[in-house]
Amino acid sequence: MAIDIVVVLIPGLIIGIIFGFVLQRGRFCMNSAFRDIILLKEYKLAKSVALAILVSMLGFAIMSFGGIITLNPKQFAWGANIVGGLIFGVGMVLAAGCASGTTYRVGEGMMGSLVALLGFSGGAYFTKFGALNPIAKFLQDNTKITNLDGSALTLFGDLTPIFMLIIGIVGIALIAYFWIWRELQAKKRENKPMFDFSNFGQKTFKQGWHWTVTAIAIGIIAWFAYVSSAAAGRNYPLGITGGWVGWNKFWNTGVDSALGWETWLVIGIVIGAFISAIIAKEFKLRTPKHAKTIVIQFIGGLAMGFGAITAMGCNIGNILSGFPLLSLGSLLAGAFIILGCWLMAYLLFMWRKD
Amino acid sequence: MVDITDTLDCRGEVCPYPDVKSKRKAKKMNSGEVLEILIDYPLSAERIPETMKSMGNEVLSLDKVGNSEWKIVVKIK
Repeated sequence: MAIDIVVVLIPGLIIGIIFGFVLQRGRFCMNSAFRDIILLKEYKLAKSVALAILVSMLGFAIMSFGGIITLNPKQFAWGANIVGGLIFGVGMVLAAGCASGTTYRVGEGMMGSLVALLGFSGGAYFTKFGALNPIAKFLQDNTKITNLDGSALTLFGDLTPIFMLIIGIVGIALIAYFWIWRELQAKKRENKPMFDFSNFGQKTFKQGWHWTVTAIAIGIIAWFAYVSSAAAGRNYPLGITGGWVGWNKFWNTGVDSALGWETWLVIGIVIGAFISAIIAKEFKLRTPKHAKTIVIQFIGGLAMGFGAITAMGCNIGNILSGFPLLSLGSLLAGAFIILGCWLMAYLLFMWRKD
Repeated sequence: MVDITDTLDCRGEVCPYPDVKSKRKAKKMNSGEVLEILIDYPLSAERIPETMKSMGNEVLSLDKVGNSEWKIVVKIK
């Protein structure tokens, strides 16, 4: 076997299980996070995403200064980032979940998400290695702009690590003051205790987590993921797309080198979410009520797969992992993922008022 | 026991339909009427009560009635 169990399989799987557990407890889905900003005017998940990015950023900066990790931001190719991001964003609304959301919901027993995942994995595989590859390659090769030495463009060039540190600290402080502190003050006014640690087990395993807890947990998982993934030869923090492409490649070719760290991570996410859902009594094998929904989710998954490979990352690779690295390509792709999400959410849920 | 005016069964609906449908339904109902919402999607069990409260409605109860199944009862303002 070419698979290294100690360095690749077990660490990837363990981090995946913890990540999946947290995703399910925190209902951490970026599709919901971005869509609900315009649809329900509900910001908890969006706040959670923002805080998770900042916690990751601060940790990555410190680990980089300490020589523990080598920063490896994604390349900038504006055409690929824009087209891929937009199609991914549109796709995730149709699939009813982003890459991480779709993955963890499989662990909750949602068969619609399983179908979306098959579409996602297939779409990504066709775009990475198959018939759709020329489109992605054309966009990536013809719109790519790099630094003179060929390294990836980041927001502040050589000063990016120091700015990661500053943005991380200032950003967390701003969130702590404007969102967390005010929430605590509001609790105080209602004469509720500011921190309530009663029923700790109940709150940890049976109920959805507060957005700050989820965000900090995910940020810390990202630090360990970076180190663990780099040790396995993949110098990047969390990612989803590569994992499902890896499984598809393995099944299609039988080449076991396709089963890298990320493939074990994604399997771990499903297992972690399953464990979490079982404990909370939230696991149920269920199909969407309307058959049409399954078709739409599959098409959404295909679009997500194409978009993620074209944009060189899904919402995890480009937003959760790419934003902290201040990669210009990730920031552009992320902006268009959000835009695509809003566009499709508007067309589906808001355009026709009834 | 309160009298349920209408029941909205959102079991088997994918995200965000339970939220969107209950919001639309609540808007159409008259003041004082009671809406019962059945869902099987965890995020909506947290989000629907929040949305209903922000609309000014009163959440009478939120009960977990089975594996990943909830019943929410809302009194329209």
